[in-house]
Amino acid sequence: MGTLEGMTAPAVDSTADEALAARASAGDAHAFETLMRRYQDRVYRLACRLTSDTDAPDILQETFLQAYRHLVSFRGDAKFATWLYRIATNASLMARRSRARRPSEPLDGFLPRFDADGRHAGTPAELQITCRAEELIDRGTLAARAREGIARLPDAYRDAFVLRDLEEMPTAVVADVLGIDPAAVRQRVHRARLMLRGYLNDLASGGR
Amino acid sequence: MSEVACVSGVDLLMDYLEGVLPAETRAAVDEHVASCPKCVAFLASYRETPRILRDATLVRLPPDLQTVLAAAVRAELGR
Repeated sequence: MGTLEGMTAPAVDSTADEALAARASAGDAHAFETLMRRYQDRVYRLACRLTSDTDAPDILQETFLQAYRHLVSFRGDAKFATWLYRIATNASLMARRSRARRPSEPLDGFLPRFDADGRHAGTPAELQITCRAEELIDRGTLAARAREGIARLPDAYRDAFVLRDLEEMPTAVVADVLGIDPAAVRQRVHRARLMLRGYLNDLASGGR
Repeated sequence: MSEVACVSGVDLLMDYLEGVLPAETRAAVDEHVASCPKCVAFLASYRETPRILRDATLVRLPPDLQTVLAAAVRAELGR
């Protein structure tokens, strides 16, 4: 098992995930280590986005242990990445459920506003200031506020938004992972985007 | 669908960008946006929001956690 020691400088291995998973399932530990090196950053990032950097280390570990224990159930008819993401998502949702959610201020107040004629309130420059968030907010503050904003989303919106927009998974795959219709994914992502757009707009305008 | 206002157009944006709107509805949205600077600005910020948040929440697995993970998995593989 010495190959695990060199994880910070992984060797390049272009073998397809599904082939590695088949070898790992047959007892090839090196194949599993290669898969782990390939996905550990992404699983950690997903866990941070769905929960917090406090819970993410346990979720990361739980994901790979679960993956190893259930490799025999991986049929190869889905992509390995999707299968692994499903495990990581479920582990994240379980971790979140096990914690009493701290009350946080909802983001509904950041939804777009319209005048009596149904036209956007605000000037084009005001409406577009979200696009200048990185220029107007320092990097560390933006990172902290981004995490805070995502955590303030309703859970159902957060899950869909993280998988679809932050992890850039196709809508159909998000629907499969979350067990909902693609139309419901689009609706939840849309609501999340509207709230977060307004939240960033407020931050960039010097608000809260 | 003959006419789209900003308020009704906003509700269609996700489906619009995902390309799942009926052609007639899509054309109505295009027509409204083409003549509405506010919707052009709003659409730009709506599209940019995920990219800004994606970049702001990029993290890498810290080396110490790599070590912990490797040890945990090594123990499992060694069973």
